[in-house]
Amino acid sequence: MTSTPAAPPTTAAEPPDNGYDDKTPRLSSRMIRAVLTQREVLLVILTVVVLIWMSALSYGGYLTGPYNSDYLSASLVDAVPLTMLALAELLVIVSGRGGIDLSIGAIVSLTGMAFGFAYGDWAWPLVVAIPFAVLVGALLGAVNGVLVAWLEFPALITTLATYYAYKSLALVINAQQPISTPEIQDLYSLTSSVEIPLIGHNIPDVPLGVFTFLIPVVVAVWLLLQRTTYGRRLFAIGTNDVAARWSGVPVAGTRIRAYIFAGVLAGLVAVYMTGQFASARPDAGTSGNGLALPAITIAVLGGVAITGGIGRVSGVLLAALLITWLNAGILLLFEGNQGTQLQLLALGAVLIFAALLNSYTTRKYGGTR
Amino acid sequence: MSTSTGLEKDSTMSKRRGQFIASPISGQEIVLLAVIAILWLLLWWATPAFLTAGSIQPLLIEVAPIAVIGIGMTLVIISAGIDVSVGSAMMVCGVVTARLLVESGISLPLALLVAVGIGAVLGAMNGVLIAWGRVHAIIITFGTLNVFQFIGRQIFGSETVNGIPPTLELFGRGEPGRTFGAPHSFLLMALIAAAAWWYLRQTPGGRHYYAIGGDHEAAELAGVRVRRRVLLAYIVTGALVGLAAIFTIAKGTATLDQSIGFGKELAVIAAVVIGGTSIMGGRGSVLGTVLGALLVQTVTSGVTQIGWPSQLSDLFVGLFVIIAVGADLLRQRARRDR
Repeated sequence: MTSTPAAPPTTAAEPPDNGYDDKTPRLSSRMIRAVLTQREVLLVILTVVVLIWMSALSYGGYLTGPYNSDYLSASLVDAVPLTMLALAELLVIVSGRGGIDLSIGAIVSLTGMAFGFAYGDWAWPLVVAIPFAVLVGALLGAVNGVLVAWLEFPALITTLATYYAYKSLALVINAQQPISTPEIQDLYSLTSSVEIPLIGHNIPDVPLGVFTFLIPVVVAVWLLLQRTTYGRRLFAIGTNDVAARWSGVPVAGTRIRAYIFAGVLAGLVAVYMTGQFASARPDAGTSGNGLALPAITIAVLGGVAITGGIGRVSGVLLAALLITWLNAGILLLFEGNQGTQLQLLALGAVLIFAALLNSYTTRKYGGTR
Repeated sequence: MSTSTGLEKDSTMSKRRGQFIASPISGQEIVLLAVIAILWLLLWWATPAFLTAGSIQPLLIEVAPIAVIGIGMTLVIISAGIDVSVGSAMMVCGVVTARLLVESGISLPLALLVAVGIGAVLGAMNGVLIAWGRVHAIIITFGTLNVFQFIGRQIFGSETVNGIPPTLELFGRGEPGRTFGAPHSFLLMALIAAAAWWYLRQTPGGRHYYAIGGDHEAAELAGVRVRRRVLLAYIVTGALVGLAAIFTIAKGTATLDQSIGFGKELAVIAAVVIGGTSIMGGRGSVLGTVLGALLVQTVTSGVTQIGWPSQLSDLFVGLFVIIAVGADLLRQRARRDR
């Protein structure tokens, strides 16, 4: 693995020596290297390709609806929870030692139910209910963290086990019934679209959740990773936790906190999704294949190395946009059931492709950065 | 560890090591047997109807598909891999076989061949991507989980496959599915388990899997063809998934719906891990997996027989997995400190 990723402005980071002496690499090979090692470049290219391709299909009348800026903007509603959960996976995967959180969707379900009880049934005010949901999420994340970091359980099997435990609790806690009291139904306004002031009438309305949830979370996670001691330590333990321990980093504590932060993000997603569905659903994060799979897919596509220590917020953000707009396009391209099924195929194929690409770049150039 | 007793310790250690390999049943398996016995006694105490043939036979029929996939999964996990796509692969094998049974009326041997063959091909896909793509197995099989699910649903087309003929009754719940009261599917599973147990313990090929799981680079240097072995493990798992699909169709009704195989990966992985196979690879046994599957299924049917909500069984299975992983880590630490 390479060193911890440098702050974004350092563009000319040299890849490690790859065995032969090429003083003046040709332009084409330099471009290929840039596309493969700068994950953001690849993602921007792919996003542009998807947008042009879908717009062309839309222009030619092959789609069941217009694939225009209004539609793209409205589909950001789905990007909000996906991006937040992918950032949660980023934190956990970067923490290394096989870090992964398969239970993230189940945490969303269980926390959503807790929020539903607090806000819908017990009529707590929103300023208490949201911190309560976040606290529950943090607690569930802490269970994972203690098992994985302190007791050194393998993350994969631990979070698989807690996934089933949390999912089961979420279903049993209210006898599989969703909570949708009038208070909860009013939360739907969280996901309505708003016009941006000043420049708003020139561009499409953007879902409110982008401003209330997505942007604050993205900025917070970016600051956490790039501008705090904690962030440096997280990359340090993910790259080599023995070396980190010898340089005085509290390895277990740092890793536990990664799982707790993931739980916190899942708690926020639970609040958001409760608003989006206008009800607290016991299977909000676990229906179908659950939310963990798209979250992990986006993280891996965004250049997060599954071996730990490598990953950037910007990559994850771009990958989330790509997946969201691709999915939105597929829904217009194929009607009804066929569309949702093709989304499965696309997600699976993209995950395998991204993982193979990561593995190839790691071998050839020493990793994405 | 004091130095004065070092010599003594060495000799006891080698003795214990020898026993560890030679003993046909390990500590974990004895514990498992005890836990299963206690659970059965508790269930018998709670619902006296539990310890009757009418209750045990369905239990064994339910255990068979989980345990049979678990045998393959044991190979995969011993070699430090994992396969979470088995549920979706089972859907593909199941729907193709069911549709062929309905539309072409194929015979039992042909159905077996089709299901096992398709399973092996799907497993080979996983194996090639994992062994040659050098990507962690969880990522690849997570991806193929979706791809297989897509394929399965495409073949399902409409909602269900209806009117499956009783061609597979040899493995079914009825009288033709039993010999002296024992379900055929369970007997066949036991036969395969015995073969796999022998293969893993007694043949060089089987021991290679432990070597790969312990340290795949060291195994490669020692002359083990790691990639071929890994590929084989996934192909075997796929083929057994096909067999499990046959068992599942046979034990069901004349209608097959899209829930076939859904979530089976947990039951299987839980069975393997509860059976004492280390998720980090390098240790494990098929006998443990079969006992683990028995435990998982006992919990699942026990929860419903007591009258608790059936979703609660996932909670208990999850807890059992965590306990089993904890026990494995303790054993590992004890071995390291000795």
